[in-house]
Amino acid sequence: MSAREGIKLIGTPSTYEAREKRFYDAVSLTKPDRVPIASFAVFFLTKYSGLTNAKAMYDYDKMAKAWKQSMQRLNWDMAPLHQSVFAGPVMEITGLKAFKWPGYNLADDALYQYVENEYMMADEYDEFLTDPGSFTIRKALPRMASVFEPLAILPALPSFAFGYSIFTVVSTFVGIPGFPQMMETLIKTGREMNRYNAAQARLVKDLASMGFPCITGGFTFTAFDWLCVLLRGLKGTMLDMFQQPNKVKAVIERLIPYTIEQAVAVTQMTGNRRVMIPLWRGAAGFMSDKHFAEFYWPSLKQLLLALIEQGITPMPWFEGDYTPRLKYLAELPRGKVAGHFDRVDKKKFKEILGNVMCFWGDVPPQLLVTGTPEEVRDYVKGLIAFFSDRGGLIVDGAVEGIPAEAKPENVEAMTEAVFEYGVY
Amino acid sequence: MAEDLINTLADLKEKEALKIVEERLSAGEEPLKILDDARGAMEIVGKRFAAGEYFIPELVYSGELLKRINDMVKPKLAKAINVKPQGKVVLGTVAGDIHDIGKDIVAFMLDVNGFEVYDLGVDVPAQKFVEKIKESGAPIVGLSGFLTLAYDSMKQTVEAIKDAGLRNKVKIMIGGGQINEEIRKYTGTDAYGRDAMAAVNLAKKFMGKE
Repeated sequence: MSAREGIKLIGTPSTYEAREKRFYDAVSLTKPDRVPIASFAVFFLTKYSGLTNAKAMYDYDKMAKAWKQSMQRLNWDMAPLHQSVFAGPVMEITGLKAFKWPGYNLADDALYQYVENEYMMADEYDEFLTDPGSFTIRKALPRMASVFEPLAILPALPSFAFGYSIFTVVSTFVGIPGFPQMMETLIKTGREMNRYNAAQARLVKDLASMGFPCITGGFTFTAFDWLCVLLRGLKGTMLDMFQQPNKVKAVIERLIPYTIEQAVAVTQMTGNRRVMIPLWRGAAGFMSDKHFAEFYWPSLKQLLLALIEQGITPMPWFEGDYTPRLKYLAELPRGKVAGHFDRVDKKKFKEILGNVMCFWGDVPPQLLVTGTPEEVRDYVKGLIAFFSDRGGLIVDGAVEGIPAEAKPENVEAMTEAVFEYGVY
Repeated sequence: MAEDLINTLADLKEKEALKIVEERLSAGEEPLKILDDARGAMEIVGKRFAAGEYFIPELVYSGELLKRINDMVKPKLAKAINVKPQGKVVLGTVAGDIHDIGKDIVAFMLDVNGFEVYDLGVDVPAQKFVEKIKESGAPIVGLSGFLTLAYDSMKQTVEAIKDAGLRNKVKIMIGGGQINEEIRKYTGTDAYGRDAMAAVNLAKKFMGKE
């Protein structure tokens, strides 16, 4: 792929403030001066400037340079930077088992992928409910990364804090097999992570000085997905929904405050008030409407409302078909949630959510990867026309934003079409 | 009695279904007949899934119940069951993609519908598909993929099958979150299926059974 250096930008330039306003106008369902284009691209941006995915994960400065170069050319209203390109060296040092990634155990041009496993067993609900902190430290972490294996033999966390134990437990840490090595590895990890964070912070600053706000500073998860994807795995959770439904609900309930706290923490860390929430298991194919109402929606709604209450803009990624769930989303307050959509019946969307939520999407990945620039242009033109009566549209690829495999000329056509047809 | 097992199992009533199996076994009933009924129940489960009444939780749960019933019945079987399969299917998630949920559900539905499934797992290199097709003589190949990178991996797998001179010996079906008719054309495959029951119906069609 060519590094498209020296090619002039698509469309016309904007200021940082104008872009922020354009985005929030769309989110709050008022008409902006032009349809904003804000994409969740990950490896497309680095590939577009000639880097392999592996290189992008292992060379922080090259990644940042590629990001700026691609943004300069594409001239999108917001830069996708949601800790999106992870730090390969950090993952490698910790012996992370919960991911596979390019440059380590996947091909150089693969996407990093989460390894869904049972990090919590079917008979561990009570242990989790009694003390989530101790469970996380002693069970989940050692299962997710080899560096944490020595933590498995620690006593329950509360016992660290009797006055009597402080001088015994803490001082014996160094005597626990594997602990000194773990500490050394963690120090190494921390130093590497600082290097990554510094490079990312520089990139955020550079992008801002180029006039590009970042879409978000980070993410949180909704409670059902936290349990189903991050702890128990799909098969385990879905059996539990039948065999121990009350425990599933109790863990979800227990997780809700943490889902909120995680979002608040990233906004405090980055100063960015927009938080992405990837949603995985609530889509139409995954569960019945009855199960959605019972297991998925209540905790998601609580999370969204809590963030809105704190002045944070939640950006849920409705991955998969959400058409049957639109009626639930209609319970949310108007113009406060930036919903990113994948596959949804747009006519029904307008009917049910037209007065509630902006539509952020949804150029299909199939089209971006295998279609022609003309087809992409027509699609975007149609999308803009469909929502032209009400505003509230933000253009991006569907599902994962722009796939890394998208043809550059198709992404350029998508961008050009927004500038051409998106002026209200 | 047969209807009782078929219906309680299809309705996912764990306790009742397992109790019926236990009673029928202790009454000395032919174990194969019980497995037949369980299979009948799975057919209903598949139909309800296709009709949008059942979803993944129900499929996973029915799979677990079927496994329990198999475990109860198998020790009582005089000899191993030797049913001629409906057909053989080589199945796997293509190179670069490690997602297994969709593929596993397809494997399960094909299996309960009488197909012999050679499941190659995830991140499967094209050459591994070729070898398994040769070794098993399977006339059907199922390629699964969740990520957009799977488009090219599927295409390359089809190329490898072609290069090995096997393309006209197999029917290839594809499926996964981001797969549609455009991708079927792009990859040069024979069909794409939206879900696990679609895969079963395609496999039956390929075998000339429906």
